[in-house]
Amino acid sequence: MAVVPLFELRGISKEFPGVKALDDVSFEIRAGEVHMLVGENGAGKSTLMKILCGAYRADRGSFFNNGEPVTIHDAGAARKFGIAVIFQDFTLVPYLDIAQNIFLGREFASRLPGLIDRRRIYTEAKRVLEMIGFDIDPRLPVHSLGVAQQQMVEIAKALSQDARILVMDEPTAALSDRETELLFAMIARLKAKGVAIIYISHRLSEVFDLGDRITVLRDGRKIADLLPAETTPDQLVTLMVGRPVDTTYTRPSRPSPGGVALEVKNLSGPSGFSDVNLTVRAGEIVGLCGLVGSGRTEVARAIFGADRTTAGEIRLFGDPIGGSVEDATRRGMALIPENRKTQGLALARSVGDNIVLAALRKMFPTGLFKPRRAIKAARAIIDKLRIATPTPRRPVGNLSGGNQQKVVIGKWLNADAKLFIFDEPTRGIDVGAKSEIFRLLDGLVHNGAAVLMISSEQIEIVHICDRAYVMRSGRVAGELSHRELTEANIVRLGIHQ
Amino acid sequence: MNARDLSLASLPIVRVPGVAIVLVVLCMVFALTSPGFATPANIANILTQSTILLLLALPMTLMIMTEGLDLSIGAVLTFSSIVLAVTVVATGSPTLAFLAALAVGLCFGFGNGVLIAAFDIPPFITTLGTLGIAQGLSLLVTDGQSVVGIPRSIEQIYSGTLAGIPLPIIMGALAYAVTHVLLYHTRFGTYVFALGGNREALRVAGISVRGMLIRVYLFGGFMAGVAALLMTARLNSAHPTAGIGMEFDAIAAVAVGGTSFERGNGWLLGTLLGVIAVGVLRNGLNLLAVPSSAQVACIGALVIVALFIDGLRSER
Repeated sequence: MAVVPLFELRGISKEFPGVKALDDVSFEIRAGEVHMLVGENGAGKSTLMKILCGAYRADRGSFFNNGEPVTIHDAGAARKFGIAVIFQDFTLVPYLDIAQNIFLGREFASRLPGLIDRRRIYTEAKRVLEMIGFDIDPRLPVHSLGVAQQQMVEIAKALSQDARILVMDEPTAALSDRETELLFAMIARLKAKGVAIIYISHRLSEVFDLGDRITVLRDGRKIADLLPAETTPDQLVTLMVGRPVDTTYTRPSRPSPGGVALEVKNLSGPSGFSDVNLTVRAGEIVGLCGLVGSGRTEVARAIFGADRTTAGEIRLFGDPIGGSVEDATRRGMALIPENRKTQGLALARSVGDNIVLAALRKMFPTGLFKPRRAIKAARAIIDKLRIATPTPRRPVGNLSGGNQQKVVIGKWLNADAKLFIFDEPTRGIDVGAKSEIFRLLDGLVHNGAAVLMISSEQIEIVHICDRAYVMRSGRVAGELSHRELTEANIVRLGIHQ
Repeated sequence: MNARDLSLASLPIVRVPGVAIVLVVLCMVFALTSPGFATPANIANILTQSTILLLLALPMTLMIMTEGLDLSIGAVLTFSSIVLAVTVVATGSPTLAFLAALAVGLCFGFGNGVLIAAFDIPPFITTLGTLGIAQGLSLLVTDGQSVVGIPRSIEQIYSGTLAGIPLPIIMGALAYAVTHVLLYHTRFGTYVFALGGNREALRVAGISVRGMLIRVYLFGGFMAGVAALLMTARLNSAHPTAGIGMEFDAIAAVAVGGTSFERGNGWLLGTLLGVIAVGVLRNGLNLLAVPSSAQVACIGALVIVALFIDGLRSER
């Protein structure tokens, strides 16, 4: 094809102390395309995008704008070429308002020297927000916004710079289905205007639904340039991980469930759920689905004793529990939170320290920490879960996402937990590690544990769960037996009629 | 979506800040216990005496918003004041002396800024070090003695009035106005919010994080230099221990005013109220003849009470 690309990177290499992040990667961007950039965590996607936007400088390589050789030495240069990035960690300032965030670094000068024209910032912000159909007061401080709203502010920020090339790093990771639809509609509009979109995603369905072209990175190298029509999800995953992986994880047959492990009756709470009823038996995985904001996480936290309840009853293995986290964990309940980095792990501490963390009282009743006993217990868990770490002494922050998740699970296994509540166990985990997490869940129930799993990925619920409850606006909208458990049924129950 | 609920929580009545409550309660208590408190003369006195603290607390607010602080600001104030006094005694030129004091403040501010921004030394450590240097230099230059013989022209800056208003109050108001404009109406001020809230946002916007941080500490040094003029005028001399502990009062005033040490959440008006609260507390306790050592403990308690009230409020 003799199309001159809008922008091109050629032979980009970048090294960080001890790691070759990018090795001779070339990448071209064409006007009006959605270019999917895929690869496992650590494949170099983010580094490549940071070089494109001038946040990092490449060690080697060249750039071409409309075929003309150019240099990008800082963010200002990238902006001049119309390159804008929406990072996963938002680059928003919490105590500035929406308008100030949109125009950060590009404030309008007032007639008075040295001052900024605040009024113009608000009128311009209003215009940009209207353009993307986001109806909100630009004077609201960003810290008061939800994640989806913050993302809209990020998009407004990028578009206000007349971006020709818009990079989105996993934009749907924190969005509900409805918000995702809005985002996709906006992407279509931008495409029609000739904006090129580079879209980083871990979700295969998005890659195929949305993408015009696909570039695969692995270990800092470009593996392939593909057209969605000419490839299959399985082929793509094989390219990403470098070995064949079954994406459609099939659930092995499970023995029929045992006694009731968790019984929740008419539970209501101030955090936004009411009259919730559900049961989980030993040996089964029960899904808890619904849109983001339907009250799933709130119910899970209340069951765990982390949030207050106003009415109802929670029974764990037949006995009512006292509504405190201490009571819940002592009697064998474990919550594996959505955000493992801030809520599940002490990142700077070792794998071993994290594994024994929930069982300190049980393991060391005298109050004296015995390192040898801790290391021994940690080794047992590391072997059992096949956690990829050379030693239990390695800081858990140095592990990959999937292995970090295993450490969180291992922590509760070590504490003899019998009921596991998972909140989005596969968020931010790449495809290869996902099926391993599923195998782990299977292993748990095979050994007689009970699992309640929250997930926004309906396909995962369908594949792995025995039954599922679907929540809507803080209530259980329905229960789906294994026979009824399909994506269509989950969506039907979950959305507002 | 939930923007509407949030605007409810930000209604002015629900959001009466801790510092305002504390200030009102303090004024009421002192007005009832000491007859000399609620007189126009005493109120003017409180404001006059609060000016030096205000000059330090204003830049301290910006530093704390950037998740930093300046422990050296009291010692730099002292050293600037000594350089000012020595210069004016030696040359007889108040202007030259004032410029020398400003230069000292700016040098220390620049040094702090460069160490923090370019060499990545934590602000606490950096300014603890420069605190020692400035304090040591003060003692070295003066041999521990006061510098006297200040001309009347300098002394009048503290005692003089303009249109019936004491000059220090005018200077304080001016400093507040300048800082307000700087923080809320310039690029620099916008970036101060970002320095504490999200430095990455500045980086991707192509703004120099280092340059901005250095400016924040330069501003602190400048204000310390101006404050040195007021302090020398007030004492009619320069004393090598005069500014000891001023950093404590300044940080306390900022904290009382509701500026948080995280995420760039700052409030300049809160700092002004915090400074006045500290001034009212000191003045009231003086009227009640409480020794100054006990006053320090009271300021500590003030910080805790104000932040406690703020904490209650944010608990919804």
